[in-house]
Amino acid sequence: MKAIIRLAAIAGFVLATTTAIAQTVKIGLLAPFSGPFAIWGSQFKQAVEAYQKVHGDSVKGAKIEVIYRDNAGDPTRTRQLAEEMILREKVSFLTGFALTPEALAVSELITEAKVPAIIMNSGAAIITRKSPYFVRVSFSVNAFTAPIPAWFEKEKIKSVYILVSDYAPGHDIEEALKEGVKKIGVNVVGAERMPLSTTDFAPYMERAGRANPEVVYMFVPAGAPSIAIVREFAKRGLKDKGIKLAGSGEVQEAFLPAIGDDVVGTISGFHYTETNTNPQNVLLRKTLVELFGKDATPDAGSAGAWDGMRLMYDAVAELGPKVTGDQFIKFARGRAWDSPRGPISIDPEERDIIQNMYLRQVEKRDGKLVNIDLMTVPNVRDPWKIANPNAK
Amino acid sequence: MLIFTILLDGIAYGMVLFIISVGLTVTMGLMRVVNLAHGAFAMLGGYLSSVMIRHYDAPFIGGALIAALVCGALGGLAELTVYRPLYRKGELAQVLLTFGMIFISIASMTLIFGTTPIAESMPKWLEGLVDLGFRTYPTYRLFLIGVGALLALGLYFIIERSLFGARLRASVDDPGMARALGINVNLLFTLTFIGGCALAGFGGAIGAGILPIEPFYALRYLVLFLVVVVIGGLGSFRGSLAAALAVGLIETTGKYLLPQLGSFLLWFIVFGLLLWRPYGLLPPKSAT
Repeated sequence: MKAIIRLAAIAGFVLATTTAIAQTVKIGLLAPFSGPFAIWGSQFKQAVEAYQKVHGDSVKGAKIEVIYRDNAGDPTRTRQLAEEMILREKVSFLTGFALTPEALAVSELITEAKVPAIIMNSGAAIITRKSPYFVRVSFSVNAFTAPIPAWFEKEKIKSVYILVSDYAPGHDIEEALKEGVKKIGVNVVGAERMPLSTTDFAPYMERAGRANPEVVYMFVPAGAPSIAIVREFAKRGLKDKGIKLAGSGEVQEAFLPAIGDDVVGTISGFHYTETNTNPQNVLLRKTLVELFGKDATPDAGSAGAWDGMRLMYDAVAELGPKVTGDQFIKFARGRAWDSPRGPISIDPEERDIIQNMYLRQVEKRDGKLVNIDLMTVPNVRDPWKIANPNAK
Repeated sequence: MLIFTILLDGIAYGMVLFIISVGLTVTMGLMRVVNLAHGAFAMLGGYLSSVMIRHYDAPFIGGALIAALVCGALGGLAELTVYRPLYRKGELAQVLLTFGMIFISIASMTLIFGTTPIAESMPKWLEGLVDLGFRTYPTYRLFLIGVGALLALGLYFIIERSLFGARLRASVDDPGMARALGINVNLLFTLTFIGGCALAGFGGAIGAGILPIEPFYALRYLVLFLVVVVIGGLGSFRGSLAAALAVGLIETTGKYLLPQLGSFLLWFIVFGLLLWRPYGLLPPKSAT
């Protein structure tokens, strides 16, 4: 008798767990949680947790389980982890991806497995062309320069000096900006590619200062290099000479305290302004502070993670927990929603994001360094894709 | 006048490298121990002085001196407990262990201070520009050149002119003979190690404006520190000064005049130098 009860109990347990599994949607989030790019992993995770705090961890009865894996920014590791997520964990979605090589590393795999990958950050233009199962909710770096020419025209700026890090996104930005200012007759008085490892920017700023441009436009990876380059701009006296510094993600709010007051007045073209008052952004910031303390500051990665979750939640709500890769991609094409950044949508053809680009300036408000919007260029599609309709 | 700007920038950069690397040169020359974790002491110095300045209102140089003291003390402790058992273990064990120490330092700094570089704590009197007649120049870099020169002079007297220095040089040149003459090489090494780590901590603190303080500092600049050691010649104080200034000047000149070459120029020249003088510019007698 005891044995039968025990058997029944086991059977019941097995049944219960299998039905629970059927009701669970797994998401594999691959990002660097260690190494020099660990900041991305933690920003993604905090935003995902904030999203789940607000919207709950289940959609119409289906539990949403996010599995975090540390790829340390390494493409090979990312591919291995993606394989493990797909084969062993049977995830419905892959997401995360901080740097471009991480996303590129899984392109063949997701095409073969028909598992969609939602990109929360990686910015090279080409990525979404590498697999029909990529959907990007972050940005394409080529779009960052979109508001710069308009600002040059408004401020009657006639000359610019370009300093970019010597790697693919840096080259993309250099091209995009040169292209953008050519049409409006702005003179590029100098353009320099700096080794990625550079942290002493004195010689570059010295040369830039001698060329006497009205604006120095920079593109370097956020972190140690971005902080050093902005400081050097001020230290070399370029700021005192009245030259303006412009860039993109270098001056996200999270990095401003480390740069110090020298950064005030820096202009940037970017897709997310941390201080904007969209209800979604207010909600994101409030939830982050509730969960992680008053110093929690959202950045582009947080916005990407929040919107990535939104897209997956919406898909599960509409298509159910058994949503397939193809159904999801069809669902994502052309979809539009309110992001913490403002209105965004997914390009129906390219599966890449269409969003506003904001021209911001760093100011000190109530003793805090923040970005303030000056101008908005609405609904920017990735300019590289428009210029290269067939490139793969 | 471009040449003066290049000289000043290159020397300022070289001085930071010198202050941080000189201890590594001397300790590697003395005990032949490959201490890859040397940069971790410089990083620690940078963090400590920043904490001192921000939270305890220490003056800039005071913060750097406290950092030097703490790094020296920690260095001494590490020498006695971690490094000493390693001397006879061979290079592979030394590389593995000290590399592991780098990772520990990276992880602990990330845990305490986060991954973003910390804010610079520059005092007002160092922030501005000085008029040099032909141009204005950042005060901070002149300060680095001055401090570097003072330290080099002080080290010159300690190493080349004092009895301690004579014993140190003797031990670098021929440790066996030095022991036979009754020199306490172990004690000498502990003292040198303390001094080297203190200098690294000091250099990390005052050089933070050129090498920003962040958790990966110890790894990011490791190659530069090692280049200074190798080019200068293991154990050679004068060599490390010459090598640090050379690295600073080559890097800076390259960035000014041949920016399209990027960092290749430095590695080409290092390559050539080592072919020409495999033991470095000014090696101690034991090496040749």
